[in-house]
This record gives sequence, structure tokens and C-alpha cells, in this order.
Amino acid sequence: MDVGEMLETYFERLSEVSESERYKQCLQCGTCGGSCPYGIASPFTPRRMILALRAKLIDEILESGAQWLCTACYTCSYRCPSQIPLTDAIIPALRELSLLEGNPPEELAAALMNTARYGNPFRESPRKRDSWTKEVEFEVPLMSKKKEADVLFIPECFGAYHRRCREITKAFAEVMYLLGVDFAILGNEERCIGDLTRLCGEFGLFEDLMEKNIKTFEKYSFNRIVTHDAHAFNALKREYPKMGFEKEVLHHTQFLFENLDKLKDMFNELDYTVTYHDSCYVGRRNGIFEEPREVIKAIPGLRFVEMKRIRENALCCGGGGGGVWLDSFIRNFLKERPAEDRVREAASVGADVLVTACILDVPMFEDALKVTGLEGQLVVKDISELVLEAIR
Amino acid sequence: MPMKICAVLRVVPDLVEEIEIEETEIVPFAYIANERDEHAVEEALILKEKAGGSVDVLGVVDEDTASDVDEPLAMAYAKGADNLIKAILSRKTFRRYEVAKGLAEFLKDKGYDVIFTGIQAIDAFAGTLGGMLARCMNLPYIGGVVEVDVQNGTLVVKKELGGGLLGEYRVSTPAILGVVSAERPLKFVPFAKLKKAMKEANIDEVDIEVPEIEGIDVLRYYEPPKPEITLLEGDPEELAEKLVEVLKEVSVL
Repeated sequence: MDVGEMLETYFERLSEVSESERYKQCLQCGTCGGSCPYGIASPFTPRRMILALRAKLIDEILESGAQWLCTACYTCSYRCPSQIPLTDAIIPALRELSLLEGNPPEELAAALMNTARYGNPFRESPRKRDSWTKEVEFEVPLMSKKKEADVLFIPECFGAYHRRCREITKAFAEVMYLLGVDFAILGNEERCIGDLTRLCGEFGLFEDLMEKNIKTFEKYSFNRIVTHDAHAFNALKREYPKMGFEKEVLHHTQFLFENLDKLKDMFNELDYTVTYHDSCYVGRRNGIFEEPREVIKAIPGLRFVEMKRIRENALCCGGGGGGVWLDSFIRNFLKERPAEDRVREAASVGADVLVTACILDVPMFEDALKVTGLEGQLVVKDISELVLEAIR
Repeated sequence: MPMKICAVLRVVPDLVEEIEIEETEIVPFAYIANERDEHAVEEALILKEKAGGSVDVLGVVDEDTASDVDEPLAMAYAKGADNLIKAILSRKTFRRYEVAKGLAEFLKDKGYDVIFTGIQAIDAFAGTLGGMLARCMNLPYIGGVVEVDVQNGTLVVKKELGGGLLGEYRVSTPAILGVVSAERPLKFVPFAKLKKAMKEANIDEVDIEVPEIEGIDVLRYYEPPKPEITLLEGDPEELAEKLVEVLKEVSVL
């Protein structure tokens, strides 16, 4: 593609996914670059990207690789005084051009191709998606057998396949089981919900995943979806309605909060100090700040401390927006991962346990513990693991 | 020096999915493109970029796997292949030499300057197709290829020699090149572009009669016996002693 074609393709996509004219209102204030976890290392911060787009230097942005230096943490979009859709449009549409040129970072390319072929980025068999259910001592009902349930539980790819994240899935399923919730899963009929494909600019694949998932949803009767995957929650809540899917969608922090009275009667005392990490797509993007804190504070014996960067200002774990597949690429630009910075912060406020609510956080932070030497001093737990520990 | 280039693209069982092993046949759940052949296609397209010319991709399938190569062929088309051909083998046995002979018969009068194949396939570990094809067509063959250039009108090929060593060879055309790995990562094709290619791509079908040649017959297919696993237990010192004993038993120490 020459620059003219690139610009044409770019603005066409921009107009499809957002208010394309918004970028014209950029004040060049630099709030975005100053807020970005990678701002210090990126050759093109969002502000500079827009400047380059105005100057028709789109090829220079792409050649620099800056479009991949984004964890889709939403801080820039949240703070932008002109409300330019940087995370949802400006950057993914640039990424799409890299995909069309055929040369995205290799690990990410593999994850996207696997998602297209197998419905998950891990190159695992779609027929093994429900294999975690064989590792629990209670029955996890399948929609294909049950046909209807109050809650459709979506484990999503990490929750279904990733060795560590499956523990979170099992913990949350057990909490639902102990609460007596009428829930079921799609099992092997589920496929990637696709928020990361969208944020990576693989719009065609995202659309295909949405179509197929909605078709599967329509086969069964349920009142609402609950998921512990913050990105699946975000896509189901914000993107799927654009394709006509209109069911209530809850993040598991909201669901746990909703059941807090019942849980309070079941809680046993725990004796340690915890802090809570506001995950980007739970907190900043979707405004869920109080619910997880209320749940944690209700567990007797726990001492709750806050970190310095919390709520809207929380630092990203670095896993979102495809970041989990971009580690080696991003390391070319940056020495310290955001996750390393974050676990140091958690340790500095005296926490024994760092509680999270996004499934990507746990592997990202546990890796960071190893790198920073904090392993043994600080433990990372999803909020559902904490709750299960308190009610067991 | 515009070249008429061909790349052979086979499908193999997808090992991400279950495969059933019966005594007389292996029954896969699904097929995917052979990865080495995908690299052969990539290198063919790279050579086209360097030298000009055209790339034909020859999908090689059996009747029951005929549709499994459609997507890999469309992928090649989306990346820039010019012509797609689906060679449907009609055969009774699975001997590679016979397949090579059948394909050679088809390829011999097509006037290709270079024919690329992957050097291996997971269901043909001996990796013999390229060499056998060259024998049948009386052409030079070089395997282990990782890079192809055109210098002063002739083909210069980098070949992996093992141990991290590379060798550079001049190869006269027409020739057959066995590719280990293309010189750049496989080009990414977005989902929408692939679907568009699947609609637009025109695939020519040819039937290839595979001759029967006596020689080798499959007696049976079977899974290797599962190894016995013994877990050693105890504190580190005990464990070390037990481990030393085990290693002595198997003559490692």
C-alpha cells in the first residue's frame, strides 16, 4: 500500500468504529503521552500519532512500531480533554494497517491466527475448552444439556486454557456452586469473545467471533452473562449490543457484590494484609471501583491498604490490548514492564496479597514477582480465589 | 529474469486435534497446511518479489481431503500467488515414491524454472518428496534451503548445514528446492482478507493418477507404548541418592 491507500483505508475504518472527525479536535496537549505506561519509550505517543496523521506521515508511525506499544489501558482515552477514541479507534485502526501489510509482531500474529482457526489463541483444541470442569469436585452444568439457566458463565480463553487462570475459573465456579447459583457454561461451544482481537485491529475476525458467539447464545435460555474475564465483560457489554445482543452482562466483581449478604454469613476470618489493583477494563473503562473493595473489606480479619495509584489512575498490568502477546516486542523499547512497577508498588504499601479482578493480571503480576525478586513476599490472587478461601 | 515458479502445498493431520490410530490407517479429526510447505510458498513469493515472474501453488490432496486445501490455497492467493491448482491424487497406497512419480508426470511439461517443496511433513518424516520429484524429473535438487537469491541471472541458494552453519550454492534452473524455513516470517493474512480470497480465488482441479510400484507395504500403524514413570520421593539428600542409583541402573553413570 502507498501512503494514499493507507490513509484511505485508515480513515474508512476510523469512520466505522467511532466518530472519525474527533481526531481533528486534538489540542496537542500531550495528556495522552504523559499518561501512557509506554509514553516515555514510544517514538509516537497518541499525540504525535495524530500530528503525524495530519501531516500524512502514517507510514512513519507504522515503520516505528509505535502502534504496538499500547496495552489498551484506556488511560489516555479517559483523560483526553477532547474525548478522542484513542484506545478504541485511533490505535486499532493503525494496527489493522500492519495486519494488512502482513507483518505484525510474530507472537501476536500466531495468537490471532490460532484464534481464527481454533477459537482460542493458545493453539489448543476447541474440544478441550471445558476440560477444567473435570478438575473440580462438583458438576459444572453444560448449556447443551441443561438448555436453560439463570446465569451463563463465560470462562473465556485464558480462563479455559491457561494453566494458572484455570485455577481462577475453578475458584469462581466453586463460589457460584456454594452460593447455589443456577448457572451453566457453553463448554466446547464457546469460542473467543474477541476483545483483544478488536483492540489489535483484527476487526474482521472480531466480527466473525461475535456472529458465531451470538448464534450460540441464541440457542439457549438464560437471564444474564457473568464472566471473570474483564475483556470478555467489556466486549459483551459494549460491542456485542452493536450486533444485536442485548442481555445483561455482569463482571464477577459485581456478581460477588450482589451476593455479599449471603457471602458475609459464609466468610471465615483471614489474617493478612491485602491491596487491590483496579484492572483497566473493570475500573477505568467500566467504572467498577466500589464493588470489589466492598467485598474485600467484608472479609473479617483482612487488613485492607490502598496503593498510591488507584481507581481511574491505576497502572495497567501490561497484558491488555494484545500486550500479553507483545512482551518480546515491547522489551525492545522498554526496560521495566509496567507489571514490575506495579508489584513493587503493592509490596511498598506492606501488602501480603495483591488482589486483582482481571484474568490477565494474575499471570502478568506473577511473572513480575519472579523478575523483581518479590516472589515469596507478595502473593497474587484473583478476588474469586480470595472469596473462596474465606468461605471454604 | 522473470521466473515461472511452482510451490507444492500438502495438507497434514492437525495434531492440535485428536487423531485416531487404527491398524491400517490414521484417521485425523482435521487437516491443516503442512508448515514446511507454507514456508515453501512464502519463499516462492519472496523469489517472485526478487526476480519477477509468477507463482503457481500446487495443492496436493486425496479425494477425501480435497476441500481441506482450499483455505491454505486461498491464503497463498491472498499473499500474492498467481495461480492455484488442486492436484487430487487417485491412489491405492501411500508410498511417497509413487506420489512423486505421479506429480512428476503432471509437472514435467509445465515449464517451471523452480519448484519449491517443504523439506518435511509430519506425516512424511523422511522428507523425501523434493528429492524423489527431482529424481523422477531428472532435475537438480537441494534441500535445507533458507534463502534464495538471483545473482547475475542464476539462482544462489543458502542451505542449512546443521550446527549453525550455512552453505551457499549456485543452482542451475530448472531445479527443485526443499525449504526448511522462508527467509522472513510467514506473512500474516487478516481474517477478512482470507475470506475475500476464498470467495475470489479460482482453483483449477487436476486428477493425478498415482502409479503402483511394488516395494514397501504398511504392516500396521500403532502408538508407541507409554513410558513408565516412577516418581522419586524423599528429602533432597535421599532423592539425590535414589537418582544416582537410577542413573547407574540405566548406565548413565
